[in-house]
Amino acid sequence: MTQEKVIGQRKPRQDVLAKSTGAFVYGMDFQIPGQLYGAILRSPHPHALIRSVDASRAQALAGVEAVLTAKDLPAGLLMPGVVCDQPLLASDRARYHGEPIAAVAAQSPDLAQQALGLIVVDYQPLPAIIDAETATADESLLVHEAWETYQAEEGLVRWRNVCCHAALNKGDVERGFASADEIIEGTYTTESVHQSHLEPRVATAVVLPGEVPTVYSNTQLLYWIRTNVAHVLGVPEEQVRIVPTGIGGAFGSKLYPQIEPLTALLSRVAGKAVRMVVPLSDELLAGVPRHPTKTRLKTAVMRDGTLVAQQATMYLDGGAYTGSTPEIASVAVLCLAGPYRTPNVHIDVYGVLTNKTNFGAYRGPGGPYSVFALETHLDEVAARIGMDPLDLRLKNILGEGDEAANGQILTSVGLRETVERATQAIGWREAAATNRGKGISLGWWTTTLQRSTSEALLDANGKVVIRVGTNEMGTGAIMGGVRQVAAETMGLDVDDVLIDVEDTLSGLWDWGSQGSRTLANVGRAAQFACQDLRLKILSLAEKLLETERERLDLAGGEVFSIDNPEEKITLKALAQLSPEGILRSRAESNAEPATYDKSRLTSCLYPAFHHPSYHCHVAEVEVDPGTGMTRVLRYVAAHDIGRAINPTLIEGQIEGGVVQGIGMALMEEVLYDKQGFRTNINWTDYKLPTLADMPEIESIIVEHPTNLGPYGSKGLGESPALHPPAAVANAIGAATGKRFRSLPITPEKIALA
Amino acid sequence: MTAAMTISLTVNGQTHALEIEPQETLLHVLRARLGLTGTKANCEEGECGACTVLLDGQPVNSCLLLAVRAEGSRIQTIEGVAEDGQLTPLQEAFAAEGAIQCGYCTPGFLLTTAALLSANPHPTDEEITHALSGNICRCTGYTKIVKAVRQAAAKGVQA
Repeated sequence: MTQEKVIGQRKPRQDVLAKSTGAFVYGMDFQIPGQLYGAILRSPHPHALIRSVDASRAQALAGVEAVLTAKDLPAGLLMPGVVCDQPLLASDRARYHGEPIAAVAAQSPDLAQQALGLIVVDYQPLPAIIDAETATADESLLVHEAWETYQAEEGLVRWRNVCCHAALNKGDVERGFASADEIIEGTYTTESVHQSHLEPRVATAVVLPGEVPTVYSNTQLLYWIRTNVAHVLGVPEEQVRIVPTGIGGAFGSKLYPQIEPLTALLSRVAGKAVRMVVPLSDELLAGVPRHPTKTRLKTAVMRDGTLVAQQATMYLDGGAYTGSTPEIASVAVLCLAGPYRTPNVHIDVYGVLTNKTNFGAYRGPGGPYSVFALETHLDEVAARIGMDPLDLRLKNILGEGDEAANGQILTSVGLRETVERATQAIGWREAAATNRGKGISLGWWTTTLQRSTSEALLDANGKVVIRVGTNEMGTGAIMGGVRQVAAETMGLDVDDVLIDVEDTLSGLWDWGSQGSRTLANVGRAAQFACQDLRLKILSLAEKLLETERERLDLAGGEVFSIDNPEEKITLKALAQLSPEGILRSRAESNAEPATYDKSRLTSCLYPAFHHPSYHCHVAEVEVDPGTGMTRVLRYVAAHDIGRAINPTLIEGQIEGGVVQGIGMALMEEVLYDKQGFRTNINWTDYKLPTLADMPEIESIIVEHPTNLGPYGSKGLGESPALHPPAAVANAIGAATGKRFRSLPITPEKIALA
Repeated sequence: MTAAMTISLTVNGQTHALEIEPQETLLHVLRARLGLTGTKANCEEGECGACTVLLDGQPVNSCLLLAVRAEGSRIQTIEGVAEDGQLTPLQEAFAAEGAIQCGYCTPGFLLTTAALLSANPHPTDEEITHALSGNICRCTGYTKIVKAVRQAAAKGVQA
């Protein structure tokens, strides 16, 4: 039995009071008196040569204080990345509908819009490259004619429109195919879906002579924004201050420096603060949504359900620039392999450049489309050999000590328990009524590592302040989870712990609120800092209480003698008696990455899943045979998250991720027409799930602790979004007797099937 | 530029004389002129519900309503919900049930729910769904919002 008092409790999060009264200050609520208003002119063409840009009339408009076009930037400026191929503003060529061409700052938003209308761009439209698979052909037109000249990360396999070819090879698939009883093949396609955070992307820059360049941003990743702003300003990173503002949802979208560098440059030109908001129509036109994909799968199986070989080829449409596609391609490799013991596996994922917006990280990048392909394909495999889909999975899933396809050895594996508990909860073996069916999906996912830094200090009132370098984006990982970890370690209740998110001048470097990493890594750094602070407190108390440190304990805001609890001192008294002033400790988390078999992987920038989480989702749906409407009746999601720090927050992550995934399964779709123009750039035509579309979601928490996150916790945030497309598609398959291999599964597709 | 006009708005029980331009929305006036930033902005075309306020007790999208049309009505924003810094039981239920994550949709949901419960103190699940389907939440998956509304209703909360 554990003795923890705060861990595992449904404690309130620090930000909940301000968020329920309207007092919480989001990026959208942050303004600087005298600020100018920025706006971006975007390409109306998916692909075009830019013959000239004339901004002179915009420049001349009264009230316009800065205008930027490509020729105002340093010649050849390309933004940092795995492949440096992206300009800040398009110069000679526009590569997607919505690409930034020019930017202005003016005294009012209306004036800024008026100025954009005065910029004359002479375009020569070109045919757009739309289909990722055909773009890999040697005879395809090029998205980047100068692709060979770009600086790129070593070891990345790339050519022409292929910005990354990530591959995994284990065993001998051909021999596996030759020896199997049955071979099943299928092709699966998914469309892009958008993060659709409720709060827009917004930044305010103050870049004035002689002052520290400062940008206020609602980003998830302050230090990557800093890298990009420093790059365009031509100053050292350490001299740039990125200040976090409240985040109203992000889901990966706010990792990217979409506006901060431009806003900083506008401010420098104008000599005034500049605020830039991305309107929803621009966000949906030219944000960084999920990759569209096409995947071919071929599986060899024995009649008893033993998986023998699997081959997968995925075309991962990256859009016009490389961005984070290479990393995401290797995550897709690991998801396509799945948590299965298949002895022969060959996977190719091609990240491909096309004339679309740069696709990127949306909650579980690399995940949902891979899981959809693999897990719906496995239902087809099960059907071919007449086996229950659940039994096929139980026969092949990995367990404790097993080796995953990339050669990493798995420990703390709660997969089987998630499968058993989720299927039991939904009554898997019970027959479904007419027009109803159940579907399953399972998988594994990573806990992203890298560095987090935190500082713990005891303030003069005896309260503990935890300083961190990355912001709360809504999940509660920081304002709930990290706070509970610190409270537990310091023997306090959460009310006596204050989390303070610091700007980049603090030096609290952090890889950000992303990648299912926040609580595990930021929490771990905070825990280390608290452990050290605790020692400092006990050392001071040792002198004041004249009791050996080993015989002292810290709980309930007091240090007391274990042998004589009457001998005690409060943290407040102690803080005020501290001869060295405020006691503080700084610590870092930079955990060892998982090891894997390098000989099996090529060009994989994310080659292993660190401290993996395991999950199983089951859905029950009803399909109206007349209209093709699908209703999700029940949804159960079981997640092995190592250790539950706060069950309410965990359920919140599961429920929210499931609904985003159901949106991807049934209704959400970023649409491009055949010429490459974006067509649905509002929330009427881009359909988001509402309460009326959703079932109540049942969350099951499974705990197989790992030795990474505080108190054994693994990552959680992304994994709930991985499974709904597959679980719902399999349920629709069971209800209708038909397979649906392309997302979203709209009523139209069902009615026409 | 259009000519300015003077209007009188009653917000959270206080009456303000305001000089505005005729095309300004209630959302804009609340946020930019009165500094009441608890009313949230995004789509500005009535899709997301983040800007919901109560107009004579009824939820409206303040982004779709010209401020001049709100003259003579009682306007309630999220800032006018808690009394003397004390959360209402409904706000407490949202906080306790985990119905708040990023919180950007929360003011809209709270006001829409307050209107529902004051007209119908014990709504069925169907009535809750019907009332709240015009508000988008991208974080919670709605499950905990519904639980918070049920909890508040069970306690006989009317606002």
